[in-house]
Amino acid sequence: MTQYARSEVDVAATVESIDVVQAAFDAWWTELGDENPKTRFAFEIAVVEIATNIVEHTHRAEGSSGRRFRLELTADATRVTAVFTDNGMPADIDLSTVTMADVDEESGRGLALAIAALDSLDYTRADGRNIWTLVCGR
Amino acid sequence: MTSIDVRAADGGVVLAQSGRLTVVTAPQLRATVTERLAAGDRLIVVDLSTTEFVDSSGLGTLVSCLKAARQAGGDLRIVAPTEQVAMVLRMTNLDRILKPRASVDDALQG
Repeated sequence: MTQYARSEVDVAATVESIDVVQAAFDAWWTELGDENPKTRFAFEIAVVEIATNIVEHTHRAEGSSGRRFRLELTADATRVTAVFTDNGMPADIDLSTVTMADVDEESGRGLALAIAALDSLDYTRADGRNIWTLVCGR
Repeated sequence: MTSIDVRAADGGVVLAQSGRLTVVTAPQLRATVTERLAAGDRLIVVDLSTTEFVDSSGLGTLVSCLKAARQAGGDLRIVAPTEQVAMVLRMTNLDRILKPRASVDDALQG
């Protein structure tokens, strides 16, 4: 078991990059050797939802802008952490107001799922960059 | 690999979504369901037994396709979700409107 496995990807802020993010996640998780599928399911859905949110926000705010984002995945004995960094426009979001969409809605579940799956989700803006930090206990 | 296998069945059509059902692949499922409804199918069975992962876009697409099927006078039923898919359906309460059936035969029989 590699308890402290680390991985990093830097990709274009496009929908197709979600597959690249998931492939990197899969390789990192395999290296980590964590055998609890519940931790994986929770953390992976959160990582995918935040990645998608960054792509969609970038697309809405700037169109096809050539923007990129970076994802760093790390782990220690007690938790797994993902940090997303991008230099796009500030995300106008108040995480304390996020609620799960009603069952008949076709959208509006991504952030609520990420929040429900994680121990903590933080968004900050620093040095002209958006930084999302996702933490899940293991 | 992600793909959709389409199979005509007695009483409906069975769509087997293998791999991931995410923002990347969900448009393909939506297009397939739209096509089948236009072709006259009314019961859409989505076999999730080989769907490894679903995200909120995949869920939104299932809701959208369920609505489209019902508007056409039909229905959409999901079958045998894997562990990850079942967890996400529960987290979003969508297991209330997309009640998983144990098998394709169960789904086709109502």
